[in-house]
Amino acid sequence: MVEAMPTVELISTLLIILPFLAAIACYLIRGSGIRSIVVLTTGGVLITSAVLLIALTPFSLSPQPFRGVSIHVMVQTLDFLLLLIVMYFGFKNRHNAIKGLAFFQIIFLLYFEFFLFKDKQDTSTLYCDHLTLVMVLIVSIVGALICFQAIPYMKSHEEHLRLKKTRQDRFFFVMMLFLGAMNGLVLSNDMLIFYFFFELTTLCSFLLIAHDGTKQALKSAVRALWMNSLGGAAFIVALVGIYRETGTLELQRIILSGDIGAGVFLLSLALLCFAAFIKSAQFPFQSWLLGAMVAPTPVSALLHSSTMVNVGVYLVLRLAPAINGTFLSQCVALFGAFTFLSAAALAVGQSNGKKVLAYSTISNLGLIFACAGLNTPESIVAGMLLLVFHPIIKALLFLCVGAIEQHIASRDIEDMRGLYADMPLTALMTVMGVIMMIMPPFGILLGKWMAIEAAARNLYVIIMVALGSALTVMYWARWAGTLMSDPFAGRFKPERQPFLTWEALGSLCAGAGLLSTAAPWLYTHMIVPTLSRAYPPPYTTQNGILENPYGVFAVFPLSLVAALGFVVAIWAVKKAARARVVRPYLSGVQTAESGVFTGPMNQLVKAEARNYYLSSIFGEKKLTTWINLGAGVLLTLMVGGTL
Amino acid sequence: MIDSAVFILIGLAVGPLLGGLVSGLDRILTARLQSRIGPPLWQPFYDVIKLWSKEKTAVNVWQAFCVYCYVAATSIALVLFFLRSDLLLILFIQAVGAVFLAVGALSSTSPFSQVGAHRELLQILSYEPLLILVTIGVFLETGSFKIERIYNWNEPLLMKLPFLFVVLGYTLLIKLRKSPFDLSTSHHAHQELVKGLLTDYSGSFLALTEIGHWYEVVLLLGLCSLFWATNWIGMIVIVVMTYLIEVLIDNVSARLNWRWMLGYVWAMGLTLSMVNLIWLYTS
Repeated sequence: MVEAMPTVELISTLLIILPFLAAIACYLIRGSGIRSIVVLTTGGVLITSAVLLIALTPFSLSPQPFRGVSIHVMVQTLDFLLLLIVMYFGFKNRHNAIKGLAFFQIIFLLYFEFFLFKDKQDTSTLYCDHLTLVMVLIVSIVGALICFQAIPYMKSHEEHLRLKKTRQDRFFFVMMLFLGAMNGLVLSNDMLIFYFFFELTTLCSFLLIAHDGTKQALKSAVRALWMNSLGGAAFIVALVGIYRETGTLELQRIILSGDIGAGVFLLSLALLCFAAFIKSAQFPFQSWLLGAMVAPTPVSALLHSSTMVNVGVYLVLRLAPAINGTFLSQCVALFGAFTFLSAAALAVGQSNGKKVLAYSTISNLGLIFACAGLNTPESIVAGMLLLVFHPIIKALLFLCVGAIEQHIASRDIEDMRGLYADMPLTALMTVMGVIMMIMPPFGILLGKWMAIEAAARNLYVIIMVALGSALTVMYWARWAGTLMSDPFAGRFKPERQPFLTWEALGSLCAGAGLLSTAAPWLYTHMIVPTLSRAYPPPYTTQNGILENPYGVFAVFPLSLVAALGFVVAIWAVKKAARARVVRPYLSGVQTAESGVFTGPMNQLVKAEARNYYLSSIFGEKKLTTWINLGAGVLLTLMVGGTL
Repeated sequence: MIDSAVFILIGLAVGPLLGGLVSGLDRILTARLQSRIGPPLWQPFYDVIKLWSKEKTAVNVWQAFCVYCYVAATSIALVLFFLRSDLLLILFIQAVGAVFLAVGALSSTSPFSQVGAHRELLQILSYEPLLILVTIGVFLETGSFKIERIYNWNEPLLMKLPFLFVVLGYTLLIKLRKSPFDLSTSHHAHQELVKGLLTDYSGSFLALTEIGHWYEVVLLLGLCSLFWATNWIGMIVIVVMTYLIEVLIDNVSARLNWRWMLGYVWAMGLTLSMVNLIWLYTS
């Protein structure tokens, strides 16, 4: 363990404090050029710092009081300030739940700070192991890339809205603030600081969803705020419970305290899981994430697919060793698997691209919860792999949909029919994203493979995961096929997009692909070091082949063969481009125009087909009530079972 | 190393050879059941050769991409089977092939292809979870997903997994595109959907879909053979019997719609799987 060195302090400061300063700069600077430079520089520094952090992990750190004021007091003050701001928004929007929940949290915080908490000097405020590192890397790299892409995106977004006065200062202020909050959250070991950043991400999310200021945006933002405030309330109650039982708020000590028998302690952990479920938009709280899709696409990509919603799964993966072997753990597994299945089912019924992505996010996060709940070494590895790969690929898909939406002014999958003819490169990258979501040898499937093998001994979980996987394949494959549908295109000519857009899309796409190949390395260098405290490493890696006594996944050989197959298939495309072009079969006399045939009485008939969305089975109207009910029952079971 | 190379070559060669022969036998058998004489045994090979020599035409270049990926995935799946690798991984790769075939059909605008592709996706949706559950059953009994271990198990799996074998039978019916599950396409042209999924695959691409299908058939028959792997005779008997029953069902039943397929296969398949899996958990 690296002792508190100046470099560690510097890097942590850069990761947490710099975005806050950049946020203020973004807010104050009027010129869009300078603002872009601030965003680009901050992003660059964040990426560099995160990469430098690799060499310094693991470490723990207790920053010295700043000008005589201890970190605890600072955070304490900011905590109250934050809750007052939330309360202000509650009053402004006349929402009783927000007001009530903020008040509730203030009361509990006051009770905690003035009646319960005894300041001990030996706490370590920051802690960074490899799980933290993975999260910091995702937040800093994926987050920075999304912010880069947001620069051209917001420019054309505002042109489209015909705004008189730019609101980008406010937008980038919150985006930067959010990056700092995320890094702070994952690095903090003191749960009270964790709680502060947890609430701060909630507030950022509210501000960004409301950004466009439309009626619907405001409605969605308010919904997100009250639901996440409920999570915050559960969190603070849990903190009080944990502190009373264990006398500490250090995450690492809580995990290792091992005193599972105690009812209040377990109940507190259950409440933390509950807060995590809300943050990750699990049923029955999915509506805040679905509503959040009204926000500009970079927001959806950053907060609602790759970082903020990951806080929930990160927290539960962290707590997994503490709940190992309990009924609570089983409930988490069951709940996660249930969400995985039901969100996948709802995604099948959707033709709105962004909604499909939202449901898919909920579904994948559910799978990670299931992995954490199964609590075997294999399942924890699976959960961490999914935690790494899902955000990258989901960010890619969101940014692609954003680019598509700005081009065709629709987010409906039906309107993306034959998009390849129009936007070949974006369409191809979207298809690549889809392939990486559902096909081996890519990372998500590696994780899913581990998850299924780990879930084999749990009947209910395995059945739900098996059904959910099949539904997942269905909605992704349908989308990919739709994008490539129609016009014969022999020549590949990429469309015009701003450089920053290509850079973000390209990096995410290539990064996810390369990282998939490097999965064995990722396993030995990032995941095993995190595991060693609580679980024995379940897999051996030799020649890039992951193996345990009952299963084997040859990552390197398969990647090699897949690459070879890809090259052959591309060669086939080149060859097919020279073949005679024929019109699709329409069961009538063909005309020169695609999709039109000469029918009876020499009339031209347009042939058209649309996708199956099976809304009579998988529609939101059919399923949502029942799924919410089921999730409610499972949650009651989970929390009640600890009493 | 040499061993692996031999197995890889066997896998690559046996797939089309055995698959084609099975297809030829199937056609003769079906003809006899319908009081016809049927084509010669080697007819499927003649068909493929003839298709290959046709002029190359395409509705969309990405169809070529998809069909090559289909053949690549199905052949890799079979090779991994011969290398006695991980059963679950093999199923995943097999699914890749199936998805690419459907995506290739979706890349044509012909409504026949489109509807065929969607039905194919529904077929995948119907059988994929069941295949995973069959694998889980095999794992619970033998303690391994590795085929090597499963083949060395000293008791026929059929004894402990009878219901899961029936479930595998369902998936085989769907994968072989036999009635009542020949929704997306079938050997003969459809009344309502022409050739469905395969409508716009032509020439060498159509030949490749046939070859990919042969790999799949051999893989699935390999899965059946796992259920009586204690000796060669048992393996052959179980595979032949299963296939005969499949052909018989094909000939005595009519095509049904996807609603029925999804409902029936999930209801029956899940019930049977659950019962069988619960036996395994309790024992």
